[in-house]
Amino acid sequence: MHIPACGHAELLDTSTAGIGRIRVIERNQIVVAVVALAVALALPHYAGPFWMGLVTQMFIFGLLALSVDLLLGHTGLFSLCHASFFAVAAYTTAILQVRYGVSTAIAAPAGVIAGTLLALVFGIAVRTRGVYFILITIALGFIVWGVAYRWSSFTGGDNGVTNVPFPSVGSFAITSHLQYYYFVLAVVVFCAIGYRVLVNSPFGLGLRGIKASETRMRSLGYRTGLHLYVAFVLSGALASLAGVLYVYYNRFVNPVTGSFQISVEAALMAIVGGTGTIVGPFIGSGIVLGLRNWVSSFFELHAAVMGAVFIATVLWAPGGLVGLARRFRARTSGIGKGNE
Amino acid sequence: MSPAAIEVEQLVKAFGGLRAVAGVSLAVSAGERRVLIGPNGAGKTTLFHCITGTLKPTLGRVSLFGQEVTNFEEYRRTQLGMGRTFQISNVFTELTLLENLALAIIGTDRRKWIMHRQVEGFGAVREEALQGLEAVGLADRAAETAQHISYGERRQLELALALRSNPRVLLLDEPCAGLSPSERQSISKMIAALPRTLTVLMIEHDMDVALGLADRVTVLHRGDVIMEGTPDEVQADPKVREVYFGHA
Repeated sequence: MHIPACGHAELLDTSTAGIGRIRVIERNQIVVAVVALAVALALPHYAGPFWMGLVTQMFIFGLLALSVDLLLGHTGLFSLCHASFFAVAAYTTAILQVRYGVSTAIAAPAGVIAGTLLALVFGIAVRTRGVYFILITIALGFIVWGVAYRWSSFTGGDNGVTNVPFPSVGSFAITSHLQYYYFVLAVVVFCAIGYRVLVNSPFGLGLRGIKASETRMRSLGYRTGLHLYVAFVLSGALASLAGVLYVYYNRFVNPVTGSFQISVEAALMAIVGGTGTIVGPFIGSGIVLGLRNWVSSFFELHAAVMGAVFIATVLWAPGGLVGLARRFRARTSGIGKGNE
Repeated sequence: MSPAAIEVEQLVKAFGGLRAVAGVSLAVSAGERRVLIGPNGAGKTTLFHCITGTLKPTLGRVSLFGQEVTNFEEYRRTQLGMGRTFQISNVFTELTLLENLALAIIGTDRRKWIMHRQVEGFGAVREEALQGLEAVGLADRAAETAQHISYGERRQLELALALRSNPRVLLLDEPCAGLSPSERQSISKMIAALPRTLTVLMIEHDMDVALGLADRVTVLHRGDVIMEGTPDEVQADPKVREVYFGHA
């Protein structure tokens, strides 16, 4: 039996053959997820408010990175406009809640819907591929940032919208950051499960097929443009959900929320953590946010450090941290089995 | 008489000033095995791409079973019963062989849009995928990713993919290109064993393979059909010998 160049010794175990991917690795993913969930649930007992805030943000931006990765990791499309859906959702919720006194029960879903509607429009970008897709999404992203910045009578301009309250629906009201942390955790778990079902569904397999060979998919009867468009809109909806979670955490929103920098960071999180995985974007989010917090406390040019991290990842760990861990495990288990 | 499985009328495909296909007409009747031959640059692959929908012809019409499909995109032609292989092996290298087949099976029906159920839950798809692999002798490698199988096996997988979308018309672009003599033989055997309900149009450079499989042969030269007939007639034709076999 030959050993494939990239590791994954488990792959050759035909007894676990499914239509789906490598079962053994998936089982390990579940173990990782359960451990991570236990840690997340217990965390507030050990960590202070600063760390709780950071972890809440890690979850929210992890969700944004996960939405970017639905395209990047599963279809190969590199979107740089996801901050737009994130921001439009955040602005919609904030403006409805603060300026019009609309309750959370309407303001929060309205945010998700507004961001998703924008994704329906921006979805035209899937008519292009490769570098043209990247350029178009950058341009689309700048439109949203420009509107947020310049249309100050509606968006509050540079100051944005402030004083967003904690969410409350009827008797269910969140009154502290701790409660909100648990709420965000619940949403993240729910989304992660839904995401997993989606990427392992026939539709998700179709996306991976398009990533591997779009010409072949067309010849098998797939309208690949429509497939990608649907994926783009779903991805935009998830980014919008993250945006609504963000605005209730952050309590205000301004044009920076919809900036190019946020789009880049979201993609960076997915890449650093590991594309095509579920935990990867969350790990990446933790690393990027943690580094930014830590480095910016003593070094003004923290963006340069981010750049260095990105370059190092692409050069030495193209599969991100998750890919690195898999490679490491495949190597050690290969030695353990006496190289099969 | 029932309409031809594939009918091409006065088809022209020009790239700038170059008419790669310069007014080709041909009709392949249902169940026929037709082989396209011709020297390099004769326009075989361009004609092929116009039939599959990869390229839009400059002029002319393409029909499948009497239905005009000239302006149909490739996926719609596939849904009408067209299957194809590629000249350069084109399989999903990052996916397992089973996943490759699963994509082909669900590609022509609505199951490809299902988002809330796991692929693994589709026992019927799995069964059919295994049958598809069995048919080309790859069943024991179902769990391998396609990048780990040999080039010859990829050609077999390629054929399995084209067959699993339930085609009525199969277009093969040099199915034996780059294969060893023994691999060539096994692929030609598979093609010869295809049911007669299936119409096959094939480009092939290997004369033994081509003439062994064909009911009829169409010879292209500089974008034109110069001869069409049975393998024997084609081999005996002096014009064909001149352009193709290189005899004076």
